[in-house]
Amino acid sequence: MATQISPCSSSSTTFSPSSLNQEPFSSAKLVNFSRKSSPSRWVFKIHSRINPKNQFELKSSNGYPLNAVSLQDGAAEKPLAKEIVLPEQTESNLSVTVVGASGDLAKKKIFPALFALFYEDCLPRNFVIFGYARTKMTDEELRETISRTLTCRIDKRENCGDKMEEFLQRCFYHSGQYNSEENFAELDSKLKHKEDGKLSNRLFYLSIPPNIFVDSVRCASGKASSKTGWTRVIVEKPFGRDSESSAELTRSLKKYLAEDQIFRIDHYLGKELVENLSVLRFSNLVFEPLWSRNYIRNVQFIFSEDFGTEGRGGYFDNYGIIRDIMQNHLLQILALFAMETPVSLDAEDIRNEKVKVLKSMRRLKLEDVVIGQYKGGKSYLGYTEDPTVPNDSLTPTFAAAALFIDNARWDGVPFLMKAGKALNTRRAEIRVQFRHVPGNLYKKNFGMDMDKATNELVLRVQPDEAIYLKINNKVPGLGMRLDRSDLNLLYSMRYPKEIPDAYERLLLDAIEGERRLFIRSDELDAAWSIFTPLLKELETKKIAPELYPYGSRGPVGAHYLAAKYNVRWGDVTGEE
Amino acid sequence: MATFAPSTHCPSSSPYSNDSSVINRFHQRVALSSIRPKQCRPRKLSLQQSSRPKAVQLQDGASTKKASSAKSDGVVNILKDGILSVPPVTPPEESIDVAKFDYDKENSTVSITVVGASGDLAKKKIFPALFALYYEGCLPKHFTIFGYARSKMSDAELRTMVSKTLTCRIDKRENCGEKMDQFLERCFYHSGQYDSQENFLELDKKLKEHEDGRVANRLYYLSIPPNIFIDAVKCASKSASAANGWTRVIVEKPFGRDSESSAALTRSLKQYVDEDQIFRIDHYLGKELVENLSVLRFSNLIFEPLWSRQYIRNVQFIFAEDFGTEGRGGYFDNYGIIRDIMQNHLLQILALFAMETPVSLDAEDIRNEKVKVLRSMRPLQLDDVVIGQYKSHTRGGVKYPAYTDDKTVPNDSLTPTFAAAALFIDNARWDGVPFLMKAGKALHDRRAEIRVQFRHVPGNLYNKNIGTDVDLATNELVIRVQPDEAIYLKINNKVPGLGMRLDRSNLNLLYAARYAKEIPDAYERLLLDAIEGERRLFIRSDELDAAWSLFTPVLTELEKKKIVPEYYPYGSRGPVGSHYLAARYKVRWGDVGSEQ
Repeated sequence: MATQISPCSSSSTTFSPSSLNQEPFSSAKLVNFSRKSSPSRWVFKIHSRINPKNQFELKSSNGYPLNAVSLQDGAAEKPLAKEIVLPEQTESNLSVTVVGASGDLAKKKIFPALFALFYEDCLPRNFVIFGYARTKMTDEELRETISRTLTCRIDKRENCGDKMEEFLQRCFYHSGQYNSEENFAELDSKLKHKEDGKLSNRLFYLSIPPNIFVDSVRCASGKASSKTGWTRVIVEKPFGRDSESSAELTRSLKKYLAEDQIFRIDHYLGKELVENLSVLRFSNLVFEPLWSRNYIRNVQFIFSEDFGTEGRGGYFDNYGIIRDIMQNHLLQILALFAMETPVSLDAEDIRNEKVKVLKSMRRLKLEDVVIGQYKGGKSYLGYTEDPTVPNDSLTPTFAAAALFIDNARWDGVPFLMKAGKALNTRRAEIRVQFRHVPGNLYKKNFGMDMDKATNELVLRVQPDEAIYLKINNKVPGLGMRLDRSDLNLLYSMRYPKEIPDAYERLLLDAIEGERRLFIRSDELDAAWSIFTPLLKELETKKIAPELYPYGSRGPVGAHYLAAKYNVRWGDVTGEE
Repeated sequence: MATFAPSTHCPSSSPYSNDSSVINRFHQRVALSSIRPKQCRPRKLSLQQSSRPKAVQLQDGASTKKASSAKSDGVVNILKDGILSVPPVTPPEESIDVAKFDYDKENSTVSITVVGASGDLAKKKIFPALFALYYEGCLPKHFTIFGYARSKMSDAELRTMVSKTLTCRIDKRENCGEKMDQFLERCFYHSGQYDSQENFLELDKKLKEHEDGRVANRLYYLSIPPNIFIDAVKCASKSASAANGWTRVIVEKPFGRDSESSAALTRSLKQYVDEDQIFRIDHYLGKELVENLSVLRFSNLIFEPLWSRQYIRNVQFIFAEDFGTEGRGGYFDNYGIIRDIMQNHLLQILALFAMETPVSLDAEDIRNEKVKVLRSMRPLQLDDVVIGQYKSHTRGGVKYPAYTDDKTVPNDSLTPTFAAAALFIDNARWDGVPFLMKAGKALHDRRAEIRVQFRHVPGNLYNKNIGTDVDLATNELVIRVQPDEAIYLKINNKVPGLGMRLDRSNLNLLYAARYAKEIPDAYERLLLDAIEGERRLFIRSDELDAAWSLFTPVLTELEKKKIVPEYYPYGSRGPVGSHYLAARYKVRWGDVGSEQ
């Protein structure tokens, strides 16, 4: 198979009809997907994104078989040659409707990500983008709003202005209520007009508050589903507040959508280093033998922001940091970290393994959690001083938790999580602390605490993506002094190219029907059942959070929690 | 007490500012525990030659604690002096105080005699290393340096000669001139024949003058051709041994040409000196990253589990020089690259790499493990060796000479200037893992490195992304000994971006970036070790025997069959034969890929 060079993905078969349309099909044409040969170095023969069995995209949500997809399968190419003619006749069109187009997320993330995909040639030839919201606005006004947030990737500024113009020409707006079937029917006819008889694939991105989720799904599904291609819906967190409300939400969604139409987004799963986690584990010999309780002493998942709610605490106060960060982002990363080797890289295989991890986990107990809330100082407002937050709010803005996976691989290994707002730094990282060397010959050189000199693998997700492994090394010189040095890989040094935003990757995946990075319903259930009892207890017992100063390292309680399990947080020592 | 118990502080120590502050605050604690700045090595206290009661208790945590109750400044001195001097009576512990030790310090001396002082090695390496040790404050208070050679020279002439090659460490240029003068004041010269007991007796007399009645410790560095080794040892031992301290002899390679001559040499040496007086130097063992090899293996959890045939596919030891014999081929032609580099330097590193965990870091424990490795190895077979010799090559208008163009080399010489070899260790840990060695002169670059290639990931989920040869994408650990010391681990990584492309990135540690300080020359470390009686980095007689028995059969066969080396152009990557040798064991040399 020829090397497929494409900045996007080899699973691009989804939109191959358009490229096939231009030239007769031949296997060599696959190479044609690569419009620009990628500027980066080619070390191996690399097929771009792996998605060997995309065929299940065929299960179009609406039950209409999609024809083009079997291209993926090398073996099937010839026998299917006849059918492949079909897409040439029926060109396909992709429409992306951003429901809640006037919102913050839409402006800051979704439209810029769509533009970046367009700029990188990752969108199909025929596509339209619709903004949908209650505000009255013209197409021009929408374009005006969007254009302010579009930027070109730093490493490819050429024709950026032109490209932006082209992109904006594909953007349209439709004003309507989120619960009005009528308004969605109007949208449907506009979409049909744009689709112009082509095979229609429709993606709805719901960037709206949770209370109107279900209504708009009902309307979109009932009135604006694609009749000929697929219809998919991207939903953002929150996915409920606890097991019950989440299950309720899922039930409601499933009244209108099939499981494989729902794309629950967790944008942390789209981060470069989170994606790389599986690559590190499964494509290197040196890590997997160490990946168990035999060698790993504890694992830490750390998330911190250096700002508070800053006047936007209304939504947050109803959820708190545990629901906002831990139960989804950190737990998802934990599951990826700890899962067994999947059968393949297919979405279902990976998600099966993740669910197994989640199901092996103990429910979180109150005594394994520390919560905190930031208080104000001279120049900073405390959490409860935020006008959108009740004065007596007990909502945690910080939490630390110790979790355990009761399976053969991880029995007894503490998985610590820590997440907080208004802390001293902004970071997201995974720290793997290894055990000490048994019978260490160099014990004398380490001082009293053997565990202080252990190896540690750090994956820094943000900022400044990096991977480093702390090793003990001899300090050069005539003596025998040991210290810890890093074997490190700083992304900005090694990869000059800008790293795409998580939303780009996830949108592209949704367009391509790649579900690996989206959360399945049973995953969501399992995740909630770990946290729900604790969340209820916190609320019924009205546990008061430990207050910590804005911009500090968070409540000291986190250290005592860690100490209980003989862990030392890796991010607050002298050397990091 | 373990080898690395702190015992020495160089007064000028601690360039590591963060540590020095710790030191200042916790001086006493520091003396006890591990975090302490020092450039001089801590070591074991056994001054085997001395008949005196030893100050060993000092080393002992318990007594050091007592000592540390003295004011903190004193502790350092006490500890330092402890090893340098041997107090006549072990003082009652309460009375350990600075004054006492000042007395002891006054009472002992080390004299270092460089036999062959006018030679190249002495000028380029030994005197500069001694000066560096002095500059760093690592030499005892009373020391004398004697040059001994046949040339007639005055002390002043020696000093002029030595001063030309002295340099100050880059990171500490202060007072360099002054220090140099002070150092030179301690250097003296004695002219004599290497086989004349009389001349050595004269030396002895001069030494005694300088020792001035103190406990006399004497170190002889034999920097002379092998044919006069024994004579010099005999004379030094008989006529110039220390009367009341230790006498040690540092010997340089070659240690014979094969098992028999090496054994004969050892036998002869042992007529005049004991095993523990002989310090066979292999300066590669003094290289920073070779020293670090054991630290990496044994003080990190993550490497040891991987250190076996289960995970390691092959190991490569590579040595390359980018110059030829350049008119100094006389010595080399008699030995060849296998004896000059492989049988000693590379094999020593291999033994350190492959040994089992020793009982402790004591010299005897480590050397026991190394001998076990050597004795588990198969003697090298002729068909597991490729030899080469460089031929003349013109590049960019410059004509580079062939080996046989060297005037000091016979025209029909078959001596290999390049060799590649595949070795095997038949023990449980390494059965079937090829250990490849490659050494050559006049190659395209200069380097010494260890490469550990790991196996491929079984059932790799990402096989699609790796192409047909899974072994091309395996992990590799590289320890670059020179130049630009570095450690890096090649890992497979996702290329950032929307696709799923993998490539190899390095998790790396470049010493120049991490450690600002200059790395000391191997000779400094080894000289200091010899002064301190630390034998870890010197080669024991049984090690030497085992090493020779691996190479002697093939060396004999090469010479008997007059095997013609494969010729390779000066400045090239060496004979292609080495690739075929590697291929036979499914190995690919790591140093000649497009990415290294």
